[in-house]
Amino acid sequence: MNNLRNFSIIAHIDHGKSTLADRILEMTGMVRKTSMDQMLDSMDLERERGITIKAKSVRIPYKSSDGNDYILNLIDTPGHVDFSYEVSRSLKACEGAVLLVDATQGVEAQTIANANLALDAGLKIIPVINKIDLPNAMLDDCSLQLYTMLGLGIEDILHVSAKDGRGVAELLEAIVDRIPPPSGSASDPLKCLIFDSFYDPYRGVIPHLRVFSGHIASGDKIMLKSSEKIFEIEEVGYFSLGLARSESIQAGEVGYVVALIRNAGEIHVGDTIVSADHPEVPAIPGFRMSQPMVYCGVYPIITSDYAKLGAALEKFKLNDSSVVFEKENSAALGYGYRMGFLGMLHMEIALERLKREYEQDIIATMPSVIYRVFLKDGEVLMLDNPSKFPPEGEIDHIEEPVIRTRIIVPSDYVGPCMELSDAKRGVLIGIEHPDDRRAVLVYDLPLADMITDFYDRLKSVSRGYASMDYEMNGYRAGDLVKVDILVNNGPVDALSYIAPKEGAALRGRALIHKLSKTIPKHLFKIPLQAAIGSQVIAREDIFPRRKDVLAKCYGGDITRKRKLLEKQKEGKKKMKMIGFVEVPQEAFLSLMKIED
Amino acid sequence: MHGLYIHIPFCISKCYYCDFYSLTDVPELMDRYVDALFSEAISYKGMGFATLYIGGGTPSLLGSARLERLITGLSNRFDLEDLLEATIEVNPESAGRDFLSNAYGLGIRRLSIGAQSLNEEELKKAGRAHDRRQVLDAVDSAVKSGFQNISADVMIGLPGQTIQSLSETLNILVGAGINHISAYCLSIEEGTVFSRFPPPDLPGEDDQACLFESAVDLLQTHGFIHYEISNFALTGYECKHNLNYWRGGEYIGLGPAAASHSRGKRFRNAASLERYLDDQSSIVEGVERLDDRRKAGEEAMLRLRLIEEGLDIREMAGKYKHDAVESLVARLDDLVSRKMLVNDGRIYRLLPGSALTSNRVFINVIS
Repeated sequence: MNNLRNFSIIAHIDHGKSTLADRILEMTGMVRKTSMDQMLDSMDLERERGITIKAKSVRIPYKSSDGNDYILNLIDTPGHVDFSYEVSRSLKACEGAVLLVDATQGVEAQTIANANLALDAGLKIIPVINKIDLPNAMLDDCSLQLYTMLGLGIEDILHVSAKDGRGVAELLEAIVDRIPPPSGSASDPLKCLIFDSFYDPYRGVIPHLRVFSGHIASGDKIMLKSSEKIFEIEEVGYFSLGLARSESIQAGEVGYVVALIRNAGEIHVGDTIVSADHPEVPAIPGFRMSQPMVYCGVYPIITSDYAKLGAALEKFKLNDSSVVFEKENSAALGYGYRMGFLGMLHMEIALERLKREYEQDIIATMPSVIYRVFLKDGEVLMLDNPSKFPPEGEIDHIEEPVIRTRIIVPSDYVGPCMELSDAKRGVLIGIEHPDDRRAVLVYDLPLADMITDFYDRLKSVSRGYASMDYEMNGYRAGDLVKVDILVNNGPVDALSYIAPKEGAALRGRALIHKLSKTIPKHLFKIPLQAAIGSQVIAREDIFPRRKDVLAKCYGGDITRKRKLLEKQKEGKKKMKMIGFVEVPQEAFLSLMKIED
Repeated sequence: MHGLYIHIPFCISKCYYCDFYSLTDVPELMDRYVDALFSEAISYKGMGFATLYIGGGTPSLLGSARLERLITGLSNRFDLEDLLEATIEVNPESAGRDFLSNAYGLGIRRLSIGAQSLNEEELKKAGRAHDRRQVLDAVDSAVKSGFQNISADVMIGLPGQTIQSLSETLNILVGAGINHISAYCLSIEEGTVFSRFPPPDLPGEDDQACLFESAVDLLQTHGFIHYEISNFALTGYECKHNLNYWRGGEYIGLGPAAASHSRGKRFRNAASLERYLDDQSSIVEGVERLDDRRKAGEEAMLRLRLIEEGLDIREMAGKYKHDAVESLVARLDDLVSRKMLVNDGRIYRLLPGSALTSNRVFINVIS
């Protein structure tokens, strides 16, 4: 066990984690040098967006300069703020973390947030400045920031270029030297942590484990602590670039088990696995379950696909345990599901994955947070769906979730960032100046404003320089109202939303205008209205389409005509019928991003 | 019984909106072309036809002698004894008195004149090869030659066109003795002059709709029946050849780019005069045989174009398998419930005034 090193790479988004992982795999001979960048990012979507969504592990044999053989378990982690839950899971399985900082960007908000997660988990941190090959690398500034902002020793900092491989050999040596080997005894009773899982259609749910004590082999009977359910192990193994079967996995190691776990709901990330012979072994404490912050309704375009969507969600949850979902129904959209996500990026990616990887034709409704609704009769409701709000007359007041955000921004952009935060109903908590070039703004912001387009706007007002991180910071009362959207004179429950009373009319107008551009013309006039209670705050009409004739039916070429119609018909399938109105998929999501 | 369509792919010049298959500057090929039509006709030797339609291009460019050779040749190869209607399309610049008298003498009783407009500006902007005077002369010659069944094509949405100019065109045509109008909306097709140089004063979609609706109103006051989406006629003057298309009937098209529908199959000839003249062995392309379900949907889509006649489901029941008709009826009834069709017993029709927005309906009618 002394030759084992379990570690993660943590960093702010785009600071080069995946590239570093590739270089490590290449320099240790796991993969040949290849033009195929970023080995660990196997999902199409990850490549497209250039971010790592799912944490994954790989076991790397390594011969160090002292002549000894080591096994390095590298666990890749996501970098975006939405995925801090996955980061915290991965970190639980490690003894050390490589903290990566982009030499041209310096310490950013998520560098700090991730470093804090690692420190809290008691990990040994190896600070690394990456991208030293770039001409605008600021080595001294970065070192100083790591020291002043995180208290890391300047002498401990390594310099690498994940791109050209400089410094990576030294980093591998440091991993062996500085990160402690795992403790725990293979002869003690079994205790493992589930830190990830995925679904294999032939072999069921495959949990990813970190074994803390004991060992596990095929034929063993295991028990899940939370449900006390017992399964027999069919296969155990390690993570190579795929799954590599082995005899057993021991205390300190990271691996997987196959136990024919058919039901997605059986496996909870964070659960402890013990031996069925020693059910008394206590669960590993302190594992944080995911906390969804953003909710939206997800409905099949074709109502009868509801069951198919449910099955897809079950499978999806196996792969991304941080989503939650439950059945709901909407007068406008029929049967569907309410899904909860860690944040907006998480939501966008999850919905995209449902469409692409799980081949679901879905529409998603406007995202919402969980409101705390105080009724006049003293009852308090927690509501994540505006359409479930009671009539205005019954409501005493509403509280909304607030986040505390830390925004790191170059001094030149402090003004615009503060203006933006103020406009988003932010309350300034403090300003810090860690060095003379940048400021740290601490704001309390309503989560609802954060999830719409705050991050995009922040990036835009700071020309991309600002970075942010956030954590939940309780609830506060707000002057909030429910806004209903009426399409063709009927309220569409799936489009209603909660908004601050101030500016509600302005926003309602912007939203109605956007909707009028998204819904195609029909044969009849379609009034679009936004209303608070019975008071209409915005209205626009979509005028009837007066002509849709495509091609002349002339010269007897009927086939061409029919094919044109068939093509049009295909396009129509992507629309959802609400009453007599065909609403395209993008109408719902596009409404999130309204310029004020 | 089948219809017979003969395509004449020659024009004096190409109009700016036109994407039909026709060639200019090759008058020397016309004699060979008539022979090539006869070669293709061999494949259908002895077949009987109920209607004959000589279209184009510009059939009147053939001249009297070639037209006579064509008609005689067709009569020798086909059974045209029971012909109910024979139409020829003519363009004003080549529809002189002699040609028209000759055509009448050959048994052709229906004329379709490519007028498009009587407004000089509109004609010029559309690249037409004739002026207003020539249209009126052609109509006059036609009447004097004995034609009693005369149709005119009128384009809706020409650059600069107004309700006023359109009304004038229609009024004068009707007054001159036209008893059938085909009113097609101009659309910008790829490869046309208009697609390369879009005219600045081209009426938009809504303007086109206004123009079209004004034409419908005006023609109705003259007693014309709006019997098909783009066609209007005094009672008894409907085009039988085209009615056969819209009733899902069968027909043979001869010539390059001509479409056929025979023995349940749809196919068309390649759009190449060169190939048609030199070697017809592989001229047929795009052969399509639909299953009953799709075929029934296609026929329903066509029949619904007939605004007055509509779609009588009994016509379909005898023709297609039970389940194909069932599923069609389900789709039609759904459209009725969505107020996109009206149903009167067993006949389905488009909603009054919805000719221009019928695509939405057709999308749901096809399977």
